[in-house]
Amino acid sequence: MSTVPSPWPVASLDPLRRAKVIAAAVPGSAWVEGVLDAPYEATWGWVTDLPVSVPQFDFQVRRIDVRARWIENGVERQRIVASGRGTKLGFDVWLEDGFCLMRGRRRLYLVVMAARPEEGGARTRFVHLEAVPLPGARVLRGVLRLAVRSDFRNLARIASAGF
Amino acid sequence: MDALVRALMPYVGRVCGAIALDRGDDAMQETFIAILRNLGSLRDPAALHGWVRRIAVREAIRVAKGGEVPVDPAAMLAPEAAPVDVATLLDVRAALAGLTPDQRAMLVLRDLDGLSESEVAEHLHVPAGTVKSRLHRARRAFAQRWAR
Repeated sequence: MSTVPSPWPVASLDPLRRAKVIAAAVPGSAWVEGVLDAPYEATWGWVTDLPVSVPQFDFQVRRIDVRARWIENGVERQRIVASGRGTKLGFDVWLEDGFCLMRGRRRLYLVVMAARPEEGGARTRFVHLEAVPLPGARVLRGVLRLAVRSDFRNLARIASAGF
Repeated sequence: MDALVRALMPYVGRVCGAIALDRGDDAMQETFIAILRNLGSLRDPAALHGWVRRIAVREAIRVAKGGEVPVDPAAMLAPEAAPVDVATLLDVRAALAGLTPDQRAMLVLRDLDGLSESEVAEHLHVPAGTVKSRLHRARRAFAQRWAR
């Protein structure tokens, strides 16, 4: 017999916490968290237009091509190719409101961007994570940390300028 | 990895929310970190649900015991929660807040998850005979607070 009525309290894992879970679970990862001086809707709309946004805030990437786009279990999926400095890397993308995960083909590289409204939506709290999910990749953390910090600085500058 | 998180979120959210209350989100985060870090130790995929339940209950109790969390009815509801019956949800949270984390874990395992008393005992590492009396006390304490 149950004396407990419904509904029970339910906890949630917001996009930023979800990114931090991945950061904690993948040894070769680095992430940065900060607040962007732009509304959430505008920020997330711009960031998730990957061919436009990524080459502007990540100087290692010259171009993003979207090869396929579809919906799977309510989640937007994309298959993209990132080109830069003579290299090309394919990514599978999972895109939700406030959460974007890009996984390199053969699972060699992982990028996560997560956001949520801050101060009533006038600003945006943002997490950017990059990871090499391979054994021994912990040694790459220093390099990854420089990369994510650089990306975030660029993103903050672009956000302050109104995209 | 993220697909697993997405699939388990509703269940883990229920366990952590009911046991850790206002620190449920912290407990949920810690639960998923533990799950992903230890996934390699899970030999039998069929045992996933029970394994996740153990971790969620353990982490929720640990986080809930980590510090006193004041019960502020105004802060109990996340804006996006949009429950059908706000008053009921607040009352449930307030009633649960009067119990210890171990008592809440007992109610979650027995009344929410439908485990047997012996299974509850196994999860919480207490003798089977102890579960019956503790469960009775937990239910009575909940009912008293619920009736106020």
